[in-house]
Amino acid sequence: MQEKLLEIRDISKYYPGVTALKGVSFDIRRGSVHCIVGENGAGKSTLIKILTGAERRSEGTIRFNGREFNPHGTRDAMRSGMSVLFQELNVVNQLTVQDNLSLGKEKRKLGFFKRDPELIGNIYEVLRSLDPSISLTQMVEDLSVAQKQVIEIAKAIASDSNVIIMDEPTAAISDEEVNRLFQIIRKLKTRDVTVVYISHRLSEIFEIGDYVTVLRDGRMIDTKAIADFAGYCKDDAPSASSSMDAACDELIRMMLGKVVAERYIPSDVDRGAKVLELRSVSNGKLKDVSFALYKGEILGFYGLVGSGKTEIAKAIYGIDGREGEVLVGGKLAAIANPADAIGEGIAMVPEERRSEGLFTNLTIRENIPMMNLRTISKNGVFSRKRERLLARRYIEKVRIVARDEDQRVSELSGGNQQKVVLSKCLNAESDIILMDEPTRGIDVGAKEEIHNLIRELAKNGKSVIVFTSELPEVLNLCDRIILLYDGKIMRTLENGRNIDHGSVMRVVTGAGV
Amino acid sequence: MTMNESPLKSGSPAGGSRFRVDLPKLMLFGILVFTVGVFTALNPRFFSWRSFIFVLIQNSFVIVTGCAVTLLMIAGYIDLSVGSTLVLSGMIHAYLCRAGAAIEVSLIIAIVAGTLIGYINAVMIVKLKITPFIATLGTMYLGRGLSYLISGGLVIREGLPDNFAYLGNEYLGPIPITVAVMIGVLAIFFVLEKKSVLGKYSIAIGGNKTAAVLSGIDVDGIVQVLYVLCGTLSAVGGVLMASRLGVGEPNTGIGFEFDVIIAVILGGTSLAGGEGSLVGMIIGSLIIGCLANGLKILNVFTFYQSVMKGIVLVLAVVLYENVKARLKIKRAG
Repeated sequence: MQEKLLEIRDISKYYPGVTALKGVSFDIRRGSVHCIVGENGAGKSTLIKILTGAERRSEGTIRFNGREFNPHGTRDAMRSGMSVLFQELNVVNQLTVQDNLSLGKEKRKLGFFKRDPELIGNIYEVLRSLDPSISLTQMVEDLSVAQKQVIEIAKAIASDSNVIIMDEPTAAISDEEVNRLFQIIRKLKTRDVTVVYISHRLSEIFEIGDYVTVLRDGRMIDTKAIADFAGYCKDDAPSASSSMDAACDELIRMMLGKVVAERYIPSDVDRGAKVLELRSVSNGKLKDVSFALYKGEILGFYGLVGSGKTEIAKAIYGIDGREGEVLVGGKLAAIANPADAIGEGIAMVPEERRSEGLFTNLTIRENIPMMNLRTISKNGVFSRKRERLLARRYIEKVRIVARDEDQRVSELSGGNQQKVVLSKCLNAESDIILMDEPTRGIDVGAKEEIHNLIRELAKNGKSVIVFTSELPEVLNLCDRIILLYDGKIMRTLENGRNIDHGSVMRVVTGAGV
Repeated sequence: MTMNESPLKSGSPAGGSRFRVDLPKLMLFGILVFTVGVFTALNPRFFSWRSFIFVLIQNSFVIVTGCAVTLLMIAGYIDLSVGSTLVLSGMIHAYLCRAGAAIEVSLIIAIVAGTLIGYINAVMIVKLKITPFIATLGTMYLGRGLSYLISGGLVIREGLPDNFAYLGNEYLGPIPITVAVMIGVLAIFFVLEKKSVLGKYSIAIGGNKTAAVLSGIDVDGIVQVLYVLCGTLSAVGGVLMASRLGVGEPNTGIGFEFDVIIAVILGGTSLAGGEGSLVGMIIGSLIIGCLANGLKILNVFTFYQSVMKGIVLVLAVVLYENVKARLKIKRAG
């Protein structure tokens, strides 16, 4: 058994009003590939932020190489040998491969660079061992995403990193490149470099991982050697698909836990009235998406990060380009931008409330009418009084907890901010409402209130599409559930019947249909 | 937080205008009063109707142009070409008057020309996606060059009709026409700022452009209108200024764009957009104006005036940001 490289003990992280991590403890062994899995919001990214020094933990200890590990910021963590391969790569496109690799490590004299054959030799050796096809004199902008990842990995190794954390490294690269990445990871192991691997794709975890830690709701559920999974046998990989299924199922069960008993209330759907229909909609991220939305229906799209949920919302709302047809109320709609969409009676609650949904420089009162100024004007002239009354109406109706309508939205809690976004959207008086992750990062109470609001909307004859990466949310709320993987519709389920959570997870993780 | 708690903690009658003390703006006004106080103490001649009217006239060009520039900068954009547009329209006005055009016709043509420059800016920035700084830097040089070309670089002095200087030097009752025009433009823009789509959307665009697009706001359209307005109002300022000088002088208005930007920034508009006000811009411009006039009355060499302008700008902004940051902490606490 390999020695312990990282000992994580009782790590907790509290944000105002939210517990992101609670008493997480596990070990990461030297030279292993340690996978971390969990649903969105399980605490994976918080854990990474703590390990890389981007956030400070609230409680607990971390020992790294036998020493107490308290990084002051990411640079400090990097100096102690902890590197990260983020999804957003940190390469300078305008420099050559060699300049990228030596960036910040150059020997200097009087502010001028000195030739450093040793450094270049070292870089050359590392890069050649990882991927001989990349030349030192190439411009980085000419490389593929996968090759840029190699540059980052080489950079980490050249600076003697013991640990490389990889955050969803395969999200943006092709299958063939995934295989190459895995070969590189295997080479890293022979160099005694430890890899912390975060991915939603469970099959990858069984292929490359040595250990897996499952997080759920900020707690560590289990840490297990991959070899210990029931029926898992690494050597006969090609013929192991059935045993692989069993292993995936076990992992999925650990990730989901016991899904809380649903309070799904069927909406009064008018199947005779198609309010929205997509026919073979495709773009860079979407492949042949077709579905219909009915009057009074709550339709759910469920899939993991990168499955195309947001992309569908953006395609309907006119943000992204698309091929294929969008029909509103049975008529072909030409939607080229959000203003067109609103004109067709479609409103959207965007995924990122702070950067996409709110005007944080303004008050609640000023935010709410933004999508439909007619509600506060008369003959084209605004009335402060109408604006105030409108804001008060929504504060009461949606139960926004605020000092008053003149409070800036930047001062509100996440849940109340989301309610402002929702109010703004409702005030657009649209019949179709798209909601991208309507309850992300919101506490349980506010979540339930928002769910009730959505049900009320459907009851009043509006149609709602909820895009979410939380399984309980679709099961609670939606009349039909469409499962997405890799930009494709995999399956459509009627809610209310027995839905096998395991098989849902298998579909959306690409572990088989 | 319990669910039964009333969402609104305090009730007050709807529509009742609740006066909120705007501390940063109050402080700005304080700086203005302080400036006036200091100069009055140094030379009582400063505190007179004559002197005030003089400051108002001198700053009316900045304030008129500043009305549009304030909204533009609240939306997070910038226009460096307003100084050149100002002088270009003044030159066109003088040229046409000398050529025998009726003064009304000449005024309209000059203002249309300025509007056109604004439209060129709008097209470059919105349609061709050129960075506002670069695009308006381009029209700044273009406008300046055209101004020189109109008169071959000379001052248009001879042959101007007598009524050319009327607008800039005559009075409407006790008020100079220039100041009256300024008040009129201000009145229109106060309504635009507070009551119109333009004002509301400018703040929204400057605050969060993505959210504005996703809310269905026609960002491109609003930005175009703002640039066109900047051109129009610079031209209005330009014809007034030419008339005040009584000549077409292609060397006027150098650095005028920065006088406007300084007034706007002093008035609490952030360069990033999303906040700011016309009232602030007016106070900002008056602070600079009083400073310039006061130093002149004290016979301070003009070069020092520029030094003072720079110092006051930086100090005032530092002070302003400081007060705002403290307010934020207090509110959050």
